[in-house]
Amino acid sequence: MKWIENVGAGAIRIAEEVGGILLLTWQVLRSFVPPRVDRQELFKNLHKMGNRSVPIVVLTAFFAGGLMTLQTGPFVKKFGAHALAGWGAGYAVLREIGPILIALMFSGRVGANNTAELATMTVTEQLDGLRALAIDPVRFLVVPRVISMMVMLVALTVIGDLVALTGASIVGRAMLDIEWATMFHSFADNLKPYDFLHGVYKSLAFGGAIAVTSCYFGVTVRGGAVGVGKAVNAAVVAAAVSIMLLDFFLTYTTG
Amino acid sequence: MKGPRKLIEGIGGGLVDTSRAAIELWLVYVGTIAGIIRGRRGGRPRGEIVRQMYSVGNRSVVFIIVTLGFIGMVMTYEACLQLQRVGIADYSQVGSQYIKLIVSDFGATLTGLMLATRVGAGIAAEIGSMKVTEQVDALRMSGVLPIDYLIVPRFIASVVMTNMLTTLGGTVMYAAGGLTAQYSFGVNPSLFYDLHLLRPRHLALMLIKATSYGAAIPVVAGFCGLRARGSSDGVGWATTAAVIGSSFAVIVLDFVISAGALFLFGGDL
Amino acid sequence: MAAYIEFKGVTKAFGTKPVLEGMDLAVNKGEVMFIIGTSGVGKSVTIKHLIGLLRVDAGEIWFDGQRVDDYSEREFEPLRRRIGMVFQSSTLFDSMTLAENVALPLRKHGKLRHADALVEAKKRLAQVYMDEYAERYPAELSDGMRKRAAIARTLALSPEVVLFDEPTTGLDPVSARRIDRLIRELAEKLGVTAIVVSHDLPSIFGIADRVAFLYQGIVHAVATPAELRASPDPIVQQFITGQSSGPMETPGF
Repeated sequence: MKWIENVGAGAIRIAEEVGGILLLTWQVLRSFVPPRVDRQELFKNLHKMGNRSVPIVVLTAFFAGGLMTLQTGPFVKKFGAHALAGWGAGYAVLREIGPILIALMFSGRVGANNTAELATMTVTEQLDGLRALAIDPVRFLVVPRVISMMVMLVALTVIGDLVALTGASIVGRAMLDIEWATMFHSFADNLKPYDFLHGVYKSLAFGGAIAVTSCYFGVTVRGGAVGVGKAVNAAVVAAAVSIMLLDFFLTYTTG
Repeated sequence: MKGPRKLIEGIGGGLVDTSRAAIELWLVYVGTIAGIIRGRRGGRPRGEIVRQMYSVGNRSVVFIIVTLGFIGMVMTYEACLQLQRVGIADYSQVGSQYIKLIVSDFGATLTGLMLATRVGAGIAAEIGSMKVTEQVDALRMSGVLPIDYLIVPRFIASVVMTNMLTTLGGTVMYAAGGLTAQYSFGVNPSLFYDLHLLRPRHLALMLIKATSYGAAIPVVAGFCGLRARGSSDGVGWATTAAVIGSSFAVIVLDFVISAGALFLFGGDL
Repeated sequence: MAAYIEFKGVTKAFGTKPVLEGMDLAVNKGEVMFIIGTSGVGKSVTIKHLIGLLRVDAGEIWFDGQRVDDYSEREFEPLRRRIGMVFQSSTLFDSMTLAENVALPLRKHGKLRHADALVEAKKRLAQVYMDEYAERYPAELSDGMRKRAAIARTLALSPEVVLFDEPTTGLDPVSARRIDRLIRELAEKLGVTAIVVSHDLPSIFGIADRVAFLYQGIVHAVATPAELRASPDPIVQQFITGQSSGPMETPGF
């Protein structure tokens, strides 16, 4: 009967975490009225998050684009259907693989880092220090981070899409002998602006989800260095689940 | 003069750091292989592999089912939607192409990415916490090799469990995709669940990929954990680095293995 | 006359472990009150209740004629501008220089612009002889320096009451006596009420007006330092003379 207990305890813990995350989301939304964001914190975070994530996102996007071309490879080789490579790879990159992979990498780099930073501040009582100065930690620390992550992830997805399409073209040229022009026309003929926008607005939602989950696990951490490690672990897992769930609902509701 | 000089110094320093890290990572990998050969003589406690299998495998089951289930639904939906848009309302190929793609790539790679997140972060957090609280030094003092004690059991557990979870994740993706095709686009399940395009080489590719990811994740994460310094901030850094490092390892391995397979089989893949 | 700050029957437990069990304490305006006792007896816990960082399980807390223990987080904000706290671990923000740390409350509550707040912050740092380290980050400084900067940050809002959580613990004797002098000056020159949590005997006998001795979840005795020294109570005597054996029961030993 032990396993029933375990399942029950697990379910309660997940319910608690989901509740906590939703509560934090509500607090963040409420902090926008009136919309006073600490500009120092906002710019500092934008700068830091952008700097940290650009190299890894560019590399990931390049490989992601290349991988999608590779997947169309057998088809292209078998039927000589060069024009299909750009369609398949481009569509997959813009709508799904690009936003998801970039969001996962962003969560691993910026989200995890944010959790670690906030968790360290929490275990060293810096959050209580803020409260003792009559400064609301949600308004001062969480809100600028949420805005920064949403803005940055959208920007990175736009850049990443371009890099991924470049990667797709380079791999197509190198491995499948697809001419640059063929690839370019294949993109231009088959991809619509809406495919690109679809990926971009999804990334806005992913950014918000990563931000709120990473902040939540940072400020609720317990127990020293061990706790900080566990918090980062929990944050990246929760972010991955949120990304997949949001992707599903947004794809279904908006096509 | 100061600007360029600083830049060169920065690049040089970065290169030295990167190559040093690469050598250390290689040493951890070699140490792990050596540790497997040494077996229990290295000081690995009895039952540790089973315990790690539980922690890597059983505790990831729900996570893998949820994430791969949803992405399976999305991918089928997107594929059918695209066919509908371009006016080919013929979905007969979707299922058979989909299972080929899952077995030869997406099943293993998405499972690998998810495990890099969950297991990679977990390993780095555990080992990093032990490092900063000087438990790793205590191990060394009592004549136990930290790699044998900490990384080898996780390595073996991860290789086995990544294969199992890939099978699970791929099945969930396939099933979820079939349901989506049926309910959103009216595709007959018997048409969707069609395995005629599947070849043994696709299964071989899945095994190779799952095994490589399963091997890479604990080595990269363990390496990041062992490099942790300071206190809580050090553990945080190690965990972050492990997530990024092992996710990126999965993507690069996928690229290399996929490119190799395409080179080998060409249009027959 | 009602006391300025009053704890009435305050009870607090963490999980199943009771810490405060019906503690009463009254603090008068303008005095330097020390709360002393062994580690883990609930000294820091007591003062954190006053600004709402912890919530009481039972009992009341009164400040300046108002009952404050049932305030909401938002209601506590104006109170926290009147009651400052210097934490044991300084709690300076790692990502900011000392000047930025001190400037933060100034620009958040004093409505100063960032640049003006930084100028003002340097003046405040000069009052604790830390102005030459204004551009440094907390991690680069010693404990004593961090403590002084933390005091400057707390004083930036000109609070009426300052809570000090072990201000001299871990400092060398010279730095410790400087902090003591600063607390005494605040009380005498600015009329600031200070509640100091400490077990540093030289501080207690050097600057306290009155001392509350916390033992087994309640205030065991309140007295002036001179009265404390002359107290016949064997538990008080054991603490202030620092004997390892005696009537005092310390959990875990």
